Amino acid sequence: MTRTAADTANRSSLEASVHGLAFSGILRSEWIKLRSLRSTVWSFSIMFVLQIGLGVLMAFTLPTSNDSASGIVNPFAMDDPMVVVTTMTAGLALGQLIIAVLGVLVISGEYSTGQIRSTFTAVPTRLPVLWAKSIVFAVVTFVVSVLSMLVTFVVALPILASRDISVSLLDEAVWPAIVGAAAYLSFLGVISLGLGAIIRSTAGGIASSLGLILVVPVILVVIPVTWVQDLANWLPSAAGGQLYRDLGVFEVWQAQLIMLGWVALFLGIAALLLQRRDA
Amino acid sequence: MIEAQALTKRYGSKTAVDGAGFLVRPGLVTGLLGPNGAGKSTTMRMIVGLDRPTSGAVTVNGRPYAEHRAPLHEVGALLEAKAVHTGRSAYNHLLALAATHGIGAARVREVIRVTGLDSVAQKRVKGFSLGMGQRLGIAAALLGDPQTLILDEPVNGLDPEGVLWVRTLVRHLAAEGRTVLLSSHLMSEMALTADHIIVFGRGRVIADAPVSEFIRQGKAATVRVTSPRVDELARLLESPDVTVTRIDEVTIDVVGVTAEAIGELAASAGIALHGINTVTGSLEDAYLKLTAGEVEYRSDASGQPATNNQQEVSR
Repeated sequence: MTRTAADTANRSSLEASVHGLAFSGILRSEWIKLRSLRSTVWSFSIMFVLQIGLGVLMAFTLPTSNDSASGIVNPFAMDDPMVVVTTMTAGLALGQLIIAVLGVLVISGEYSTGQIRSTFTAVPTRLPVLWAKSIVFAVVTFVVSVLSMLVTFVVALPILASRDISVSLLDEAVWPAIVGAAAYLSFLGVISLGLGAIIRSTAGGIASSLGLILVVPVILVVIPVTWVQDLANWLPSAAGGQLYRDLGVFEVWQAQLIMLGWVALFLGIAALLLQRRDA
Repeated sequence: MIEAQALTKRYGSKTAVDGAGFLVRPGLVTGLLGPNGAGKSTTMRMIVGLDRPTSGAVTVNGRPYAEHRAPLHEVGALLEAKAVHTGRSAYNHLLALAATHGIGAARVREVIRVTGLDSVAQKRVKGFSLGMGQRLGIAAALLGDPQTLILDEPVNGLDPEGVLWVRTLVRHLAAEGRTVLLSSHLMSEMALTADHIIVFGRGRVIADAPVSEFIRQGKAATVRVTSPRVDELARLLESPDVTVTRIDEVTIDVVGVTAEAIGELAASAGIALHGINTVTGSLEDAYLKLTAGEVEYRSDASGQPATNNQQEVSR
């Protein structure tokens, strides 16, 4: 185990290699941190598998306008592109919960283990860590989501074909939905990360981010005041949903602005607190 | 070079560091010594910007730590063992820290080799012993080949071999002209490692001197008295110039009175003495004398320092 202290004198390989703090390095550092935790890898894998599994189930069961050949007209029948989009985004309801939890963990895990002190000793200006974490997590979430939806499409294709549905990925109703759904998860992930940075505890962070997605909408809808119920449309889960399906409340660009607003709100508070609090 | 000026940190109503001012010079091993809760760790955390001073300032090589272009190249810090995500391997932990400064994998492997972590580098930190955690912390501190090293209780949890290794390492680093600041609550450890000692007591610097001067100060005679009625004797000895330190049920150490005077006093009070002798001064005595009035947690109301603190020191 023990080496003589003289070994430290062999630092030749180092002296040429210290470059100083750079944002590109902090990004790489956060990428290494994200990929080197089993919990991240497992969570993304589960999300990937769920996404495909639920998509395949949907492909078998969705009512389509083609089914009306049997003589019964289904009031819930969808046109072909809608069937494809619903198939690909079927796993989102569960996937969003995984991303919300993971987003909190990306930062709260550092506080609970003490890692944050190593992180902030290396990057004493702190804020670049928050930006780098957000960017890395958003990009990875986006890529994993898009990939899982593309795989879902490929797997579901023969099933859909057997039901006389043929829609191209390049259909103008399909690819924007893929991008929109992936963007929704990325936005949600960064909002959760912001919550994690504000609350700093894993339990509290997860409770508040899941609460924002699952509980707050229900509470707002139950209150019998019109403007309160209208507010529910502005919540991340509702506004974000409009990034990939048209519910007739907001245009896509409006939904994007609303999501950016939520990100700015939570990351802004997180940044303020990060600067002010002791680590 | 680390320079602290009127450094103060309050947590609510509790003052952890109270107007501390000191200079840590390059080429020397400087020891930060003090009982638990004296403000050593808080001071170190303020040096690397983890805690913001309530008032006052501390600079490293003339600038606040956060303003350096390559902080890890200026200061390497071991602030506590296992400031590490336990789900990550030692190698990946170091690789991620190194990446922030564009330090390559070659240096990561090098610090792993130097700290003797080769065999566990790919294992998750979760299973590490305290000693391995300390080695990993030291590896992280060495990553940037820093000019200044700050080590908080570096020998905590290390086996004798590890203790010796840390001692040799810090001496070597100082000999290369680096600034080394390490903390301990063990005077004996400091005596073996440090050139210069800064003593903290209740957040204030109560002594700042070379080790040699400490030894000289420590020579002031301590009288060890054993008596079945030692409590009574301690009460009789009470005076502002006299320090009485409880050793065990029947033994006290007295500083500030000669053995003769204690003997006379005991005789006139009719207290039997089972033993009385003058103990040679040592570093620990000097330390105890300095911190006797400055211990944060006391074991009883009689104003004597907490006994477990005494034991830790005299071990």
